[in-house]
Amino acid sequence: MNRLKQAYFRLFIVVLVLTLIQKTSASQFPPLAPLGKVPEPPDNKTTEAKIALGKLLFFDGRLGGDGSTSCASCHVPEMGWDWPGKLSLGYPGTIHWRNAQTIINAAYYDKLFWAGASKSLEAQAKSAAKGAVAGNGEDDLMEARLALIPEYRQQFKKVFGDEWPKINNAWNAIAAFERTLIQTDTPLDHFLNGDKNALTAEQLAGKKLFEGKAGCIQCHNGALASDQAYYNIGVPPSSEWQTNPLAQITMRYELYAKGMDEQQYRHTKADPGAYFRTKHPSMKGKFRTPSLRYTLYTAPYMHNGELASLTDVIDFYDAGGFTSDGRTTAYPTTKSKLIKPLSLNKKEKKQLLSFLKAFSGKKITIERPNLPAYQKLFSKKELMEAKK
Amino acid sequence: MKVNIPLLTLLFVCFINSSFSSAEVLNKTVAKVSDVTQNGDSASNALIELGKRLFFDKRLSGDSSIACSDCHQPQYGFTHRTALSPGYPGNKHFRNAPSLINTALKTRWLHDGRIATNLNDVVREMLTEDYIMNMDMRLMQERLKQDLNYVALFAKAGLGEPSNSGVRKAIPAFLAVLKSTKNNYDLNKLNKQARQGKQLFFGKAGCSQCHSGHLYTDELPHNTGVPENLSVFLDPLSHQTFIAFNMFMGVSDYMSLKRDIGAGVLTHKADGSDRGKFITPSLRELNYTAPYMHNGIFNTLDEVVSFYNKGGGKDRYLDKKIKPLGLTKVEQKALVSFLKSLSSSVDIAKKYTNQEHQYSYHLIEKWQDKEN
Repeated sequence: MNRLKQAYFRLFIVVLVLTLIQKTSASQFPPLAPLGKVPEPPDNKTTEAKIALGKLLFFDGRLGGDGSTSCASCHVPEMGWDWPGKLSLGYPGTIHWRNAQTIINAAYYDKLFWAGASKSLEAQAKSAAKGAVAGNGEDDLMEARLALIPEYRQQFKKVFGDEWPKINNAWNAIAAFERTLIQTDTPLDHFLNGDKNALTAEQLAGKKLFEGKAGCIQCHNGALASDQAYYNIGVPPSSEWQTNPLAQITMRYELYAKGMDEQQYRHTKADPGAYFRTKHPSMKGKFRTPSLRYTLYTAPYMHNGELASLTDVIDFYDAGGFTSDGRTTAYPTTKSKLIKPLSLNKKEKKQLLSFLKAFSGKKITIERPNLPAYQKLFSKKELMEAKK
Repeated sequence: MKVNIPLLTLLFVCFINSSFSSAEVLNKTVAKVSDVTQNGDSASNALIELGKRLFFDKRLSGDSSIACSDCHQPQYGFTHRTALSPGYPGNKHFRNAPSLINTALKTRWLHDGRIATNLNDVVREMLTEDYIMNMDMRLMQERLKQDLNYVALFAKAGLGEPSNSGVRKAIPAFLAVLKSTKNNYDLNKLNKQARQGKQLFFGKAGCSQCHSGHLYTDELPHNTGVPENLSVFLDPLSHQTFIAFNMFMGVSDYMSLKRDIGAGVLTHKADGSDRGKFITPSLRELNYTAPYMHNGIFNTLDEVVSFYNKGGGKDRYLDKKIKPLGLTKVEQKALVSFLKSLSSSVDIAKKYTNQEHQYSYHLIEKWQDKEN
């Protein structure tokens, strides 16, 4: 028995020592790494035919309420596969309450949406198509539409074995297409794969800051440059809520629809973020760390687009989580302790900016597909001959 | 559906309908149609005014593109001039828009009678159904709170702040005002031809077997053999709606259906003998509500009378009361004349035509400090 106690004690000491070492050494964060193979779920294997179908569906507004709003409406390829406004385009007559994130490399996340509401691309596609201020579609009508498009009937049968297209398989196809929207050949990837000349001297200096003085790597780590954890870094509430009636409507709607109690619904004036994952107050104002990849093309930044440029982002962090006009989070008690003034000088900021640009390669564009047309399911002759 | 009909309610509706017999002729007591009246206290009038404003407000649809009044147009007796209702952007409907005049006096609603509770439920169904107005009522509520006119009107109507439940009280209050005025038959002012038609209506033609009571309807489902409107199936925009509806209503062969099964969506008989029944429509206001039948297949009352004269349409489950009538051309004309005399001599819808309300959202100032 004494020997057992000694063994436990030794283990305790070892664990304690390791913990202390980890906490005091920044180099213990997962290092930046080349983006590897796309994760693929066992229940939705990727095939060429599925990708081709998913591409059509991604651009098809008929997966939505009134035919006007497809995935590509808010995730615009010609932009950064995102939406260029502070708050995303909403379904007609509405505006969204958050900034649209890029689709590029979304395949690597396992917490999707800013507050981690979806755990897969499949689930995210469904939520987006059905959200009242997003696609506002309903399963029955969307499925009926697919059934009246011969090319879709043919492809759903080929890809999924569906006699008639099943709406859940539409999300599966879109997810498969999104898994092709990745970028693994950024200057940073080349560098990490051994090309010493892929980064400039300035970028290398920025990398040193990123991993050192600026402390970015504490959250922006690993291959994705995101730890996918939730933090309140001090982003202020959306300025649109002071100026845009549609934004005020959507804010209250989201609070109501996500099940806040009445008092909070009536008094909450800032996005609670990941609070809706747990309904625990310690989560208020927290959002999942976004990847830094492809950010060259996805301005404006943060969950509500309040920072217009990467320069503004660097200034924001340098100020310790405050905008240039002094605004910060409405949830001060949950603001991350990791966020502190950085005291970067002008040269250092320039170096850091230069390094951030190395996370993005060339702009990814795509040719918009011609969408298949509706056709009559029955001929007039068949209808006339139908027995009653 | 944005909001599902509670299962108990659906079962209740099925139970009610399963007790029907097509041979049964109920001697229904329907509240007497009376003159339009808006007398009452200021809260009642405010409620009606609120309901009217809502009725014409496009922001009660998901994409803010259509109002109740787009399909129920006052200038056409609160119907739509086309055979099939426009539906929602991106799809079309598969049935004709019924008139809203006297709708508050009914006991069941929609061509298949699937709602038999109250107008509150009908309003909810119309607003939330994806192929009709596709409105998430939680979003609707916030839209209304963003319009100062509504904030004032809801308060004046005694409903507190704008809310979903308030909308479903106010619109029915407005609908209750849409009632027929006395027609020539009510006023005993039939001309000779119409008097002959009346004799036929209650006699040889047998119309009153189903078109009974003060609304001229027994409010029961019947299969009269109305021909299918093939546009429902030939136009994919209508067909998608038809498919989605039948899918939702649990019709197992929804993809292969080539007919509208009507009230069959409530009873689901395995032998299909319940298919093709539709609730007897009211005969009031026919002068304003062409085209006719649940699918708008007939453009004129002459066509309708001719259809019945031939003994309805071909259907193995045709209602047994439907038989060739043997009416002469003169008799058919007389019957049409009587039917026309059942409409209000004054078009009650005129005063609602071309309603123009000022609609806008206001910015809630100092929003950070407001409780709302």
